[in-house]
Amino acid sequence: MALSEDGPGNGGDPPQVRALEAQLERERAEGRERERQMERYASDLSETFRAERRRSDQLRDSYVATVRALTNAVEARDAYTGKHAERVAAYGLELARRISPALAADPQTEFGFLLHDVGKVAIPDGLLHKAAQLTPDEEALMRRHPEIGAEIVSHVEFLGAAAITVRHHHERFDGGGYPDGLAGADIPLAARIFAVADALDAMTTDRPYRPGSSFSEARREIAAGAGRQFDPEVVAVLDTIDDDEFDRLRAKIG
Amino acid sequence: MAAVLVVDDDPFIRQLIASTLEDTARDRPTEAGDGIEALEAFEREQPQIVFMDLSMPRMGGLEAVRRVRSSAGIQPTIVMLTAFAGDENERAAEEAGADLFLTKPFSPLELLNLVHDLQPR
Repeated sequence: MALSEDGPGNGGDPPQVRALEAQLERERAEGRERERQMERYASDLSETFRAERRRSDQLRDSYVATVRALTNAVEARDAYTGKHAERVAAYGLELARRISPALAADPQTEFGFLLHDVGKVAIPDGLLHKAAQLTPDEEALMRRHPEIGAEIVSHVEFLGAAAITVRHHHERFDGGGYPDGLAGADIPLAARIFAVADALDAMTTDRPYRPGSSFSEARREIAAGAGRQFDPEVVAVLDTIDDDEFDRLRAKIG
Repeated sequence: MAAVLVVDDDPFIRQLIASTLEDTARDRPTEAGDGIEALEAFEREQPQIVFMDLSMPRMGGLEAVRRVRSSAGIQPTIVMLTAFAGDENERAAEEAGADLFLTKPFSPLELLNLVHDLQPR
């Protein structure tokens, strides 16, 4: 230390020098105190960040659980589709990851996929399960389910953009879909991805009146609809994903 | 929301406490650099919570606490800023009339929780 008796600042120095050295030592001590204090702030900040992160993960888990419960309640009415929404969500997210990682990472995308048919709660059982051809009136009522679904979802604060997918999940790339007859890029991307994922699952799932097709058959059929029912870019991305990958996703859902 | 007075001879520590409490206390806390300034600010602002450093020029924390405690009027909660938990300085501060202790370097979360818990509901 500069203040030690045998150091350069020994007793032979004038009082002003000793006073300056004492001052310097006080300032150094103050500097060390400030430094320790800032380290304490930094450690509290990272602790707070971790705690906040845990809480937001828990919150996200409970959102997902809520959405799944709602999805299952909707699907329980339809014996054929069992877990259709979960499979569509898995296929759709796989497509989305290769088209827009940001879109895939947004929980609203998965929520929209899962809840696409929530508006069917407003469709009477007799109509939902009718085997015969629907009358024009019945058809018109059936076609209202995307709007009704979007309306339901829009009342849930944490389901923001999901409502957009719900509303537009029956649009067609050529503009021939409903409810708004949007075409091309006017259809939200998540809804364009949904259309492909939905068709893929519908074609590959067994029905009472026909067995499900293979993924490669479904792929060919979807490719034939590129530019008409489906966005050609989404169809092109579908071709980059192996059948094995879809098998794996389907097996995981069970 | 409570009014807060922060007394410390290091302006850095003072401002740090004041900024940390900005959204939790009633207004941005009042600052004082020694015991004499603290007594003036105490008269003027009538704070409900006082953070008080121990060693300061002109008048130290113990003397300032004794004078606040011997004054008439509404008494604040006094939080003593100390270097070590449970040492003789804390005992002296307690005798002088301090209510709580915050050990330096203090945890900002502890500081915020302390003020939050002292808020009138």
